[in-house]
Amino acid sequence: MPEEKYLICEDSMEGVFTGIYDAYAFREGHEHLHIQIGEEENLRLFASYLYITPDLVKTRKVAETIQKRLGTDVYMSICRALSTEDAGKGQAVYRTVVDGITNGSGRRVLENSMNPYVDTVFRLSRCAANEIHRLMEFIRFQELKQGILYSRIGAKCNVVSFLMPHFADRLPLENFIIYDEKRELYGVHPAGKEWYLVSGMERKTEDELLMSEKEEAYQELFTMFCQTIAIKDRKNLKLQQQMLPLRFQEYMVEFVKK
Amino acid sequence: MEMRIAPAMSMMDKLNILAEAAKYDVSCSSSGSSRSGDGKGIGNTVASGLCHSFAADGRCISLLKILFTNECIYDCKYCMNRRSNDVPRASFTPDEVCELTMEFYRRNYIEGLFLSSGILYSPDYTMELICQTVYKLRTVHHFQGYIHVKAIPGADAALISKAGFLADRMSVNLELPTAESLRKLAPNKHRKTILRPMKLIQNGITQNRNELVLYNHAPRFCEAGQSTQMIIGATPESDYQIMAVAESLYQKFSLKRVYYSAFVNVNQDKELPALPGGPPLLREHRLYQADWLLRYYDFTVEELLSEERPNFNMMIDPKADWAVRHLEQFPVEINRADYRLLLRVPGIGVKSARRIINARRFGRLNFEDLKKIGVVLKRALYFITCGGKMMYPTKIEENYIVRNLTYQNFANRKERQLFSGDGMQYEQMSLFS
Repeated sequence: MPEEKYLICEDSMEGVFTGIYDAYAFREGHEHLHIQIGEEENLRLFASYLYITPDLVKTRKVAETIQKRLGTDVYMSICRALSTEDAGKGQAVYRTVVDGITNGSGRRVLENSMNPYVDTVFRLSRCAANEIHRLMEFIRFQELKQGILYSRIGAKCNVVSFLMPHFADRLPLENFIIYDEKRELYGVHPAGKEWYLVSGMERKTEDELLMSEKEEAYQELFTMFCQTIAIKDRKNLKLQQQMLPLRFQEYMVEFVKK
Repeated sequence: MEMRIAPAMSMMDKLNILAEAAKYDVSCSSSGSSRSGDGKGIGNTVASGLCHSFAADGRCISLLKILFTNECIYDCKYCMNRRSNDVPRASFTPDEVCELTMEFYRRNYIEGLFLSSGILYSPDYTMELICQTVYKLRTVHHFQGYIHVKAIPGADAALISKAGFLADRMSVNLELPTAESLRKLAPNKHRKTILRPMKLIQNGITQNRNELVLYNHAPRFCEAGQSTQMIIGATPESDYQIMAVAESLYQKFSLKRVYYSAFVNVNQDKELPALPGGPPLLREHRLYQADWLLRYYDFTVEELLSEERPNFNMMIDPKADWAVRHLEQFPVEINRADYRLLLRVPGIGVKSARRIINARRFGRLNFEDLKKIGVVLKRALYFITCGGKMMYPTKIEENYIVRNLTYQNFANRKERQLFSGDGMQYEQMSLFS
């Protein structure tokens, strides 16, 4: 009986893509290979564990192959699925890629909802897409003293890199920062230039985050607008909360009690 | 006589008055336009639209929805801003509207501007002000986000066309479903003057489409189309009349959306019905459901309602209502039925129907697969088979199914939650007693 092999990958696109590259390199079929993100607590007997170091060249090769064989849409869905925190996402992505390539379903691979791995990638990708969509809607920028627009978020998945292109296109001439406090990750857009990500930077101090002179006035205007626009005879706080869950409200000026 | 001169009004007061005055306009959609920024200004648009917040009534806040002014020469009985009402009045300047839009937009509070207005002096004068404001926003501030403006009935065709080239969406409110009701409640408005700008906008859009075929860079005219709204429950029209009007608006004026607005009695006018139970929200909801069936599910009004059955069933949604009255067309075999037929099954929506069609290429679907695909099995199970089998043996009989689909059992906990405030006594209603 062939041995089960577990490839332990870093929780990142590079990690998983390198794992997929190495899995193919074994050339012994995919049945007994597993991609796992991070350490396993209960090690299995009769299984071997291999630690995969992220490798940029392998990552690029896998990314190119996915885009060529499965198309850009599927590639983007895979990237979104990998931005979630699901423990099985690595394995699901790996087997979805295998399914798409060996089945010849290519660009249609995600339509095969009868395959549980494909279904997982589909669901995770949809979940991340919803999170991205909602943050595009609910992010609030504050204008700081220096004129920078600053936003703090606590995202369910690692989506800053999906939000930046949207806001860079929308606000090309603004200096803005999106800070994901759960991941200590900054998306930075200097006016008129390309955006980039910064991690491991020290948290901004209160001093650095002082608001501009007019900021408070606009916050008050908008808060008042949101209250005024509601029709009292139709009041429905449950519906409001269903559309706009509390976990977003805590970051939004119109809901934060002063 | 004492002269009273109002002190200069603060931005806060103005916004308060002019948002208050605009809030009964329903549309807040920012969808239908898809445009990248050009890198030199501010803003873009997203095809699906974005809802930036939700108000305490659960309605989305997507656009800065304001009136330019709530001064008005008209005296429509249902309208808060009618001439004969003693309410605080205010007007913005074009610069003030631009400032608010830009500053709100930068902070990601809004997707753009929805500018409507009371009629100041004349329709032309008012439309000119709206045009000026939007022109400034587009050219001085280089705003490339979403703009929705009202076409003022009675305004010059040239002004309406000018606005169309600046806005993503335009709308003219039908106000009330029939000309007769309009005559009664809005003595200064006429059906004809409302339909004229609607036609103008439709022609503008068609012409623009032809120009775009010839050359790609032709300026866009109302890229996101036009919409309208009707007040529901202020006048005695039946659902059948209302839906027939909506259907003909979609067909004859190619509207993108028709909005239905449950009547809120703000003026306590004696010509208007008192609504002790609050606005007819569940009825409004049924109309929207039916509207969806017209636009995405290939239904016609004639299939849903008739002279004999002129109103929707409040207990179950229009699609389920249609299905239980057409049991001869069911059950539908999931592995064979075409898209259109799948769409007719209660519990299967546009997305799940698409996914069923796509997934079928890979093999036969069973009930477990359907659940994963997002089919609401507890609603669909009476109407479908998988591989010739029903999910479990069940009576295929109208009353039995209705009983199982109605609120008492499970179906509409959500609806109960949404409409618990509208005074309907669901508990006491029974179709079978």
